[in-house]
Amino acid sequence: MSKELAELWRFRGLLWQLVRRDLKVRYKNSRLGFLWSIAPPLMQVAVITFAFRHATNFAAKFPSYSAFVLVAMIPWTYFQTAVQDSCQSILMMYTVIKKVYLPREIIPLSSTISNFIHFLLSWLVFVLYWYIFRRGPILWTVLWFPYLVIVQFMLVTGVGLFVACLNVFYEDIKYIVTIVMSLLLFVLPIMYVPEQVVYTSHIGGRYHPIFIWFYMNNPITALITGFRKTLLQPPSPAAVGGPSLPLNVGSLLFAGLISFGILIASYAYFNKRKWEFIERP
Amino acid sequence: MGIYRKTIAPDSMTASPAILVENLHKTFRLQHRKSASIKYAILNFYRKNPVEKREALKGVSFKVEHGETVALVGKNGSGKSTLLSLMAHVYKPTSGIIQLNGKIATLLELGAGFHPDLTGVENVELYGAILGLTIKQIHQKFDSIVKFAFDTPDLAEKIDTPLRNYSEGMKMRLGFSLAVHTDPDILLIDEVLAVGDEAFQQKCYRKIEEFQNVGKTIVFVAHYSHIIRQVASRVIWMHNGLIRLDGPLEPTLEAYLKASDDPNYHSNSS
Repeated sequence: MSKELAELWRFRGLLWQLVRRDLKVRYKNSRLGFLWSIAPPLMQVAVITFAFRHATNFAAKFPSYSAFVLVAMIPWTYFQTAVQDSCQSILMMYTVIKKVYLPREIIPLSSTISNFIHFLLSWLVFVLYWYIFRRGPILWTVLWFPYLVIVQFMLVTGVGLFVACLNVFYEDIKYIVTIVMSLLLFVLPIMYVPEQVVYTSHIGGRYHPIFIWFYMNNPITALITGFRKTLLQPPSPAAVGGPSLPLNVGSLLFAGLISFGILIASYAYFNKRKWEFIERP
Repeated sequence: MGIYRKTIAPDSMTASPAILVENLHKTFRLQHRKSASIKYAILNFYRKNPVEKREALKGVSFKVEHGETVALVGKNGSGKSTLLSLMAHVYKPTSGIIQLNGKIATLLELGAGFHPDLTGVENVELYGAILGLTIKQIHQKFDSIVKFAFDTPDLAEKIDTPLRNYSEGMKMRLGFSLAVHTDPDILLIDEVLAVGDEAFQQKCYRKIEEFQNVGKTIVFVAHYSHIIRQVASRVIWMHNGLIRLDGPLEPTLEAYLKASDDPNYHSNSS
């Protein structure tokens, strides 16, 4: 792997050019440019807030329900768009890699990196939101922020490399990813908080404890709740159905470890198969 | 797995040939799809389509010294493009050794696989980066690249418009101009020398001559004998994944052309 990394470093100039291309091309013919990457999550947040305030009895009890959704929606949007973009990326550059050599991992990497830049810019929008609506004090746990951002980058890049590689051989992956993403929006605690699942899991006794543990500690949930708990004050027990769980440092460190593992494993898998891309049978 | 080696160190260049190929094999796997119907696909999704192995190269060995210009000839499917792709490090060899000593540039038409909304400038930056130039070097050479590609001002004006407004010939010109401006030691060209108008072709030949005069190495695949005669100093004739004949320009090309006139050779490409 060190040889591959050295090769990647040699091509860092190209990687940067591809990232620039991604950033430029995305909104090339639009007037509002970057606003188009923050507008959809903002509109989603507005609509979800509207629906949940009126259709459920917990959303209104949050100090600021829309802030809770927004803080989850930003990392979620990054995860979704970056994984979907890198899934398609290699086939889009197919005619190039058929003719000229470049380390192929550069292609999905440029997708995850350009989306990462959008992700960071989206947090500026959150800061603006915070400033305008004055939603409470800044917590010292904001110091976790850089850690969470890095862990999410590793996770997204790991998953992105994996699906990008698989999609070359089985284009079903593209459809599977799209479906899974639309389902995860509801399965993951984006429109609600994971405590609500824990406090209602006894109803009917449906969930196995392993499921609950996995639900709470998988890296995406850990990251979403990590961002929430480090940036926002906890909601009241009345809103959640019980006391809000404290920031779970163990779960965050575990997510970092898992994300790093996924990144390394995916990169190894990618390297193993990248020479088959243009000679798939 | 075969070995692909590349050195860029100048001291190794004088000692070793520009390109060294030893007993090179390349096998592709081809999958035959029996039926394209959805019903068949659904009912037989678990069944693997038969995979056939096709040997594109069956043990090829040769050396190219620095300063040589080699034309690869042969009918379609003889393995010449595979050989060139192996030199460009697009494929990994199945077995054998392929070693290139020097900086490589592959000629590629601009816009191939890139976004049509990118301008000519952005494409030059991107493709320049693929060929190993830094953004600084690209900007230094930029005027010269554009000047070489588009001699008339009305073409040069288009450089900051999206590539979708370019004709195929213009993309080719820009691609050629960029490739030669990367100052490679070894230039790889795949069947593209025949594009552009007469004037631009002459310009390409002059540039290639310039390359030859300073001792650079060129390997190209060509189908037109007048191009080969104008540029090459040596011809390698590929046939069914093997070298049929390898020698100086005239006798080798003559032998190849004679054979391709023979209906038994099944020539359809020259």
